[in-house]
Amino acid sequence: MKTKKILSLALASLLVASSVAACNKGGNGGKVTEFTMFAAMAGKEKESDNEIMNLIAEKTGVKVKESWLTGQEAGEAIGSIIASGKLPDFIDGGDGSVTLYENHLLVAWDPYLEKYPNLKEMYTDEEWDKFRMDDGKIYWANVFGNHYKQDTTTGQNGEAFWIQARVLEAYGYPTITSLDEYFDLLEKYAKENPTLPNGTPVIPYTCLCEDWKYYCIENAPMFLDGYPNDGCCIVNIDEGKTNPKVVDYNTTPTAEKYFRKLNEEYNKGAIDPDFAIQTYDEYIAKLSTGAVLGLCDQYWDFAYNIMGPFASELDASDGSKFRLDQLGCDYVPLGLTIEAGMEQQWHTYGDELNQSSGVAVTTSCKNPDLAFEFLSRLLDQDIHDLRFWGIEGQDYLVDENGMYYRDETMRENWKSDSYKAKHTCEYSYMPQWSGISKDGKNYMQPGESPSEFLATLSKPLSDCFTAYGCGNYVDMVGSANVYTTDLPWYPLWSWSNNLSTDTEGGVAWKNMGEVKHKWLPAVVMSKDFDTDWKAYMEAYNAVNPQAFLAEAQAEVDARLATAQANGWTE
Amino acid sequence: MENSVSKSNFRKMDSEEKKPRLSAKEFGRQKVLVIISAIYVVYGLIFYYLPLVGWIMAFQNFIYADGITGSKFVGLDKFIFLFSDVKFLRVIRNTFCMGLLNLVFSTIFAIIFALLLNEVRNKWFKKSIQTISYLPHFLSWIIVVSIVHDALTSTGIINDLLMRFHIISEPYPFMAKPAWFWPIVTLSNLWKETGWNAIIYLAAITSIDPALYESASIDGAGRFQRIAYITLPSLRPTILILLLMNVGNVLNAGFELQYLLTNGLVQDWSRTIDIYILEWAMDARNMDYSLGTAAGIFKTVVSISLILIFNSIAKRKGEERLF
Repeated sequence: MKTKKILSLALASLLVASSVAACNKGGNGGKVTEFTMFAAMAGKEKESDNEIMNLIAEKTGVKVKESWLTGQEAGEAIGSIIASGKLPDFIDGGDGSVTLYENHLLVAWDPYLEKYPNLKEMYTDEEWDKFRMDDGKIYWANVFGNHYKQDTTTGQNGEAFWIQARVLEAYGYPTITSLDEYFDLLEKYAKENPTLPNGTPVIPYTCLCEDWKYYCIENAPMFLDGYPNDGCCIVNIDEGKTNPKVVDYNTTPTAEKYFRKLNEEYNKGAIDPDFAIQTYDEYIAKLSTGAVLGLCDQYWDFAYNIMGPFASELDASDGSKFRLDQLGCDYVPLGLTIEAGMEQQWHTYGDELNQSSGVAVTTSCKNPDLAFEFLSRLLDQDIHDLRFWGIEGQDYLVDENGMYYRDETMRENWKSDSYKAKHTCEYSYMPQWSGISKDGKNYMQPGESPSEFLATLSKPLSDCFTAYGCGNYVDMVGSANVYTTDLPWYPLWSWSNNLSTDTEGGVAWKNMGEVKHKWLPAVVMSKDFDTDWKAYMEAYNAVNPQAFLAEAQAEVDARLATAQANGWTE
Repeated sequence: MENSVSKSNFRKMDSEEKKPRLSAKEFGRQKVLVIISAIYVVYGLIFYYLPLVGWIMAFQNFIYADGITGSKFVGLDKFIFLFSDVKFLRVIRNTFCMGLLNLVFSTIFAIIFALLLNEVRNKWFKKSIQTISYLPHFLSWIIVVSIVHDALTSTGIINDLLMRFHIISEPYPFMAKPAWFWPIVTLSNLWKETGWNAIIYLAAITSIDPALYESASIDGAGRFQRIAYITLPSLRPTILILLLMNVGNVLNAGFELQYLLTNGLVQDWSRTIDIYILEWAMDARNMDYSLGTAAGIFKTVVSISLILIFNSIAKRKGEERLF
């Protein structure tokens, strides 16, 4: 009994001592406030004693524990958070953002925007207006794709048909512009190179069909017809930008042709037999083996998760070592169209403003002023550099002209998952900039610095870009130089993502999704495409897509009218 | 042995004895007992009956911020929406059938397993088998589903084995076939729960009077005869009570298993009521607690009716029953 008491006393004092020590670490003479953040996306957790996180905490007095979606859908996670009443201090509710607002759980930004110019600077007044909810206040800010001073985009963050660089290299970098050419190349390569050096059999093509990420199979007909990513329908401007017409891409001849092609390839065995049943985790695991030659997806959805595995050393069956990135397994985007030689808009130029979700402060936050101050401090250049470049000397170097650069070890470190977990702290769903740094010469994000961008590419990847005469991913996609910022309704998915079942169109939209989840993989796997396609079309028309399209048209018209009222002209 | 004898004696006394009148004196004599049971009554009221106030939500257009007192009443609208939705009817079918399959097969397999295990004479072997067989019960569904999913993919162990034995020539897409979904769910349940469910039957078997077995073998009964004429009839009351209790759970056919195992192709056969509620009532943009409550009420009413019906059947047939 006595020993127990002594033991617990010892433990207690140890605890006190360690917490005192922890407090002392947090400079500023003051103590560090710990906030929590939940982002309704999949993400990687940081270790609690993450080095840069502690550095930022020293400077700002705030440390944020981020948690991510694990195994649920965004909506369910937000739903259970609301029902439980246990809110984090910061939240990015994704599709659930509006629901959070409707339940009065978010703190309005308006007073703090005036107080913290760093935050206000993120958007112009007109852009901020787009974030306003029906009570006229702003509750969140989207943090991505926002360029400081100029558009320096090097990546294709959006969708494309991706192909491993080694496939293109094997055939002397041919020009691939249509689906037929794409699949021919994949099949040919798979036949000639059936396994990786470690014996893993290659999969010519796979396609994710899970949950909302089934866009990987679903929305290609929109792009194949040459339209940009409005997400839920095509907006046809053949009759001028003042007379946009909403068109359903699910029923176009292009859609039929595309799915017929997939069906043909599936029956030939060129498509992963498990494509329809794989979960996102299985999909990433599959891509991480380097076995998948081609896929259709948005870059952010797969690329960051496979960088680590691609950069690690593997054992070949003959005992030698190899790395997937050096083998040329990295993916390059192709801007395919249904017929060769059409213009396409897989890549859209200009900043895309997604006002439907973003980072928000909740009513559970005990000190909202400090929370907003922290968001603002994150945009200070020194802290921004810490987040995305790291610590000078350890994560990046500065040359005689004051330009930031990294050496090879540093670049490798920033690809390593374990290094990122214990050292780097991007606060990736908090306010951030792309583009030119506030010093006027450096870049906000290493990936957008042209020299850094080229240097981070594996050799096969940079060879591939050079062979096609491209400087980066954007050039590689080769989309028509159309600025979607000129289209007042773009992107329409910021509307459809927030559609509720209160209206007929909303119910139709949800039902259309269910029908497509069932039928799209079914027609691809079909032994009798024509019959099944007809059955699919019947099931699809039975859920009243017209109701949805009518509401989409109304939204396009409304957005156009607002823009025109604000002085927009063609 | 002692157990079964005392139990039957007790039952006899119970029914023969006259009910004591509730007098102040009697009450005072049982004060301690009354207080102890009152605790359970209060607990039950607070945690089982008080929350039923929330059922009001099913008749409202409930909005979280307005609360139960502030939300607007809409009568039976939510129920009408539910039952006019073809998908909901499909969901009831799925839930009911998967629940029933699960009930029937898990009972049968648990009994068979208990009987087999009981016949094992080597104590050490018997104990290890029992431990191994109920271990999966402690795994969470997410792990079980990963195993099942992995085993059933085109490169999984099942397809691999079938191909090695030349039963099929190319991988069979089990997970993509709607017809396979219910069997897969039932088998997963069996794999996970058979060992655990058998424990109660094993316990019941050990309480059977060994004298019965002895005299039966003297009379020349073999192993199977002893099982058929002694073990099974002795298990009958246990089996019936457990069945009755589980009938009420048929509509709780599952959530995690089906939710994690499903995909677009089999959705018409995989969705249970719970999943439907989650998708249509707790979706990001449609926080319709009222719809969820309405579906919940439906489930409860059906479950209680099932128990009542089966209990009264048991009563009429003179079998063991719950009440």
